[in-house]
Amino acid sequence: MDVLLAAVNLAACLPGPTTGNGQGVVITLYGFSIMKEPLEKAIFPAFAAKWRAEHGVNVSFITSFAGSETVTNQILQGAPADVAILAIERDADKLVQGGATKDDWRSRPNGGIVNKTPFIILVRKDDPKQISDFPDLGKPGIQIIHPDPTSSGGAQWSILAIYGSELEKSQAKTGTQDPARAQNLLASIWRNVISTPGSAREARTGFETGYGDALITYELEGLSMKQAGDPIDIVVPKATIYSEHPAVMIDRNMSAEKRSVVEAFVDYLWSDEAQQAFVKYHFRSVTNETFNDANPEFAKIEMPFTVQLFGGWDKAYPDIIQNIFVNQVKSK
Amino acid sequence: MSANVSGVKHTRGFDVIKPLSIGVMVAVMLPLVLLPLASIFIFGTSKGLPSFWHALVEPEAIFALKLSFVTSFWATLFNIIFGLFAAYILSRYTFWGRNAIIVIISIPTAIPTAVAGFALLLLWGPYGLLGRFLPLDMQIMFTPYAIILANIFVTFPLAFGVIMPVLETMSRSLEEASATMGASRWQTFWHVTLPSLRGAIVGGALLTFARAVGEFGSTILVSGNLAGRTQTAPLYIFSKFNEGQVEAANAVAIVLALFSFVIFSVLFFARDWLEAD
Amino acid sequence: MFEIHEGAAVQIVAVSKHFGGATVLDNINFDVAQGEIVVLLGASGSGKTTILRIIAGLEMPDLGRILLHGKDVTQLPARERGAGVIFQNYALFPKMTVAKNIGYGLRLRRRPRKDIRAKIDELIELVHLEEHRDKYPSQLSGGKQQRVAIARALAYEPEVLLFDEPFGALDAQIRTRLRKEIRELLKKINVPSIFITHDQEEALELADRIAVLHEGVIEQIATPFEVYMQPSTEYVATFLGAANIITGYIDHRCFRCEDISVDLEDDMRIPNGQAAKLVVRPEDVFLRKAENLTQKYQPLTDGIIDEVSFVGAFERIAVRLAFIHDERLIVTRPKTETAVFPLSVGQKVPVGVVRFRVLPDNTREPVARVSAARK
Repeated sequence: MDVLLAAVNLAACLPGPTTGNGQGVVITLYGFSIMKEPLEKAIFPAFAAKWRAEHGVNVSFITSFAGSETVTNQILQGAPADVAILAIERDADKLVQGGATKDDWRSRPNGGIVNKTPFIILVRKDDPKQISDFPDLGKPGIQIIHPDPTSSGGAQWSILAIYGSELEKSQAKTGTQDPARAQNLLASIWRNVISTPGSAREARTGFETGYGDALITYELEGLSMKQAGDPIDIVVPKATIYSEHPAVMIDRNMSAEKRSVVEAFVDYLWSDEAQQAFVKYHFRSVTNETFNDANPEFAKIEMPFTVQLFGGWDKAYPDIIQNIFVNQVKSK
Repeated sequence: MSANVSGVKHTRGFDVIKPLSIGVMVAVMLPLVLLPLASIFIFGTSKGLPSFWHALVEPEAIFALKLSFVTSFWATLFNIIFGLFAAYILSRYTFWGRNAIIVIISIPTAIPTAVAGFALLLLWGPYGLLGRFLPLDMQIMFTPYAIILANIFVTFPLAFGVIMPVLETMSRSLEEASATMGASRWQTFWHVTLPSLRGAIVGGALLTFARAVGEFGSTILVSGNLAGRTQTAPLYIFSKFNEGQVEAANAVAIVLALFSFVIFSVLFFARDWLEAD
Repeated sequence: MFEIHEGAAVQIVAVSKHFGGATVLDNINFDVAQGEIVVLLGASGSGKTTILRIIAGLEMPDLGRILLHGKDVTQLPARERGAGVIFQNYALFPKMTVAKNIGYGLRLRRRPRKDIRAKIDELIELVHLEEHRDKYPSQLSGGKQQRVAIARALAYEPEVLLFDEPFGALDAQIRTRLRKEIRELLKKINVPSIFITHDQEEALELADRIAVLHEGVIEQIATPFEVYMQPSTEYVATFLGAANIITGYIDHRCFRCEDISVDLEDDMRIPNGQAAKLVVRPEDVFLRKAENLTQKYQPLTDGIIDEVSFVGAFERIAVRLAFIHDERLIVTRPKTETAVFPLSVGQKVPVGVVRFRVLPDNTREPVARVSAARK
């Protein structure tokens, strides 16, 4: 059968694949777009070298990168992934609920999260509008590009960042969270939104071409833009959310021997080498804060929080995104 | 008194409508077609030719272009052969359901390509109606063969639509003459019908091929977008854009734009030969 | 059953064809001898195209048989019959040169290349197209295209040649010249040929025999002379050449109508009392007394000249007879007559005939009692 397939492939004159060749184990990884660089440039080669040294077996990788939601849907439709690294826990849950995998990904280190990046505010160089924190975005005269939360994971993080920042601040001040304050800030910021493109990527492109005074986005986006020489500055809010990125093993139809390699690879993501590689590519490590401190470009966040502040995505999505944002803020 | 009329030169009055209307036409085309095309080239070469070349010779970029061309080739070949076959049968025979079949053949142009890709997944995917019965290593979806399949579906009506009218209007007496002279149906088809279809076949093939190369909506669903394996050129452009690597996306975009330009130039300049009887 | 006629190259036996509810062909029977040219003459809708396509094998008859050189080919498809068809638009293959067109039939039969070349050369010479052998059909005039079509059909030595209104697309002048050439050519190669046309002049000039088709039935099949001079039905009479028709009845070997009384020729056997029609061609009517006429002349009656037209080679006169109110007798007179006996409108003239046919008219009841002859 293999011979037949090979013959058909040859007869079809299809170009030879550029990745995943050679003997040994082939791991197929689906990830969201910005994961591509650290994985391909640092983590894959390092893991492959390590595995070859320890077990004498070659490991090569096949990859597919797109938006996190696209990746999730592809896998649900049967795309041949072995590992998926997603931008948002909800997508990982979707994979399990959809029957694509039985992997108990939360049981891995750090609750299955391989790296994180906080949400910050990008402004024009030298901050002409004098924005220093989320509340400044609600000032009159500020124009913001913000992706549409119904289609963009990044947008959902952003909403949670804004809302949560007020909860944290009010808690620190009075000892209890003040939802009304949070909702007010959300509403005032949303009034300044001039455009809601479908994805974070599109929002970034819009901002890059000169629209809007500010963009709420992942820190690593801002860092890579700065590295590319874009005329922007990063404003780190006092309180902000960490966007956390889970890794899921897709274990349907996986042979036992392959499984051991894939498991080892996933575990490797929390190794020091891997975490340091993430830091090099602007992600923040989840295992060791000293790695983060060692990186001068990471600003200190006074009051960081995660989605756990809301009780996890299971609560955050219906309560904040659907209830408060869509029904109340947006409709005004 | 004699009027000397021989020396009077007649000139038409200056017709301002002609340059004006040409100008309006170009002015409308500029922002809609010409400038967007130009901007691809301007941007792509703005960082210098070496940078453009560098982005282009990335293994994944070359693979994407090769994959696009090869899968489009096979899809075109299939659609030309089948389109020829179907057009011949539908124009020569009458039977119950003939008109329904003609409509069905033409439907894929009206379907959004994403719907087409999705439908193929529903049928052939690992959980699909038929795909679930396929053994694991013979899965069609998420392989280059899925791309060929999607391309066939989406471009199905194109070659057929070019060949069918030529067959319908072709004089039957040519084929009858061939028959009376002793030719079997196949011989008549090969020696008489086919040569007269030369133009339609070439035109239909070019059209199908160009369309297939540019196909995106169905490909992104059925291919799995595996870099260096099932990522066609349009998918490559899209992925690079999503990763923020605009130069890389642009380099491949330029190649595709040039390619379309060449195809349609050929179609235009050779149209006399193509339509020659 | 039917019998095979010896010596008949083509035999059409009892062929009938229906389309929908209409009868297109009704019991068609005729033969074509080796080397003979038969022309099927008829108006559109007469069925002549259908009979040609049936002989060629492009359509199947509902009833009847086609025999080619004694062999029953009715069940054979077109490609096995060996008929050569020259279509109305010639149907030359546009992407092949003249030489390739001509050689097509032989290439299909896988003859050796040398033989094919020889045959093509022979045929090109036969139809005088030497300078055009490498041209494409679109580069040739209609007349030359027709010659290619003929050469192409002859290449594989067909049992019969079938021509579908071959001269329709050509100018009138070329037509007359080509008719002669084609006839000479066909006689030379001695292949039986069937033409279909609606042009009676063409039929008269081309045919060895003409079959006049009317609504799916052959009304008469005979030599051009016979069909013209001795039409056996009113339709044949009026289709070939012009004809004046006078309705009357037979009274004791005499055709009578009002005060017209014409004696029947000996060979005209029509029963007494039978309703009949007198058919007389314009050129056979004379508008003067019988003296000095060399042919046998029978007076008809008197008439008044209604119209005189000059038509080049002859003069056409319309004469009003006393009793025929709506129609007039059409008479033609050659220049020799008009010069010697000029006539003008309003003039009263005697009307007589030198040649005529009397045909039985089965659409009317015979006359039971015949009244006495009137003077």
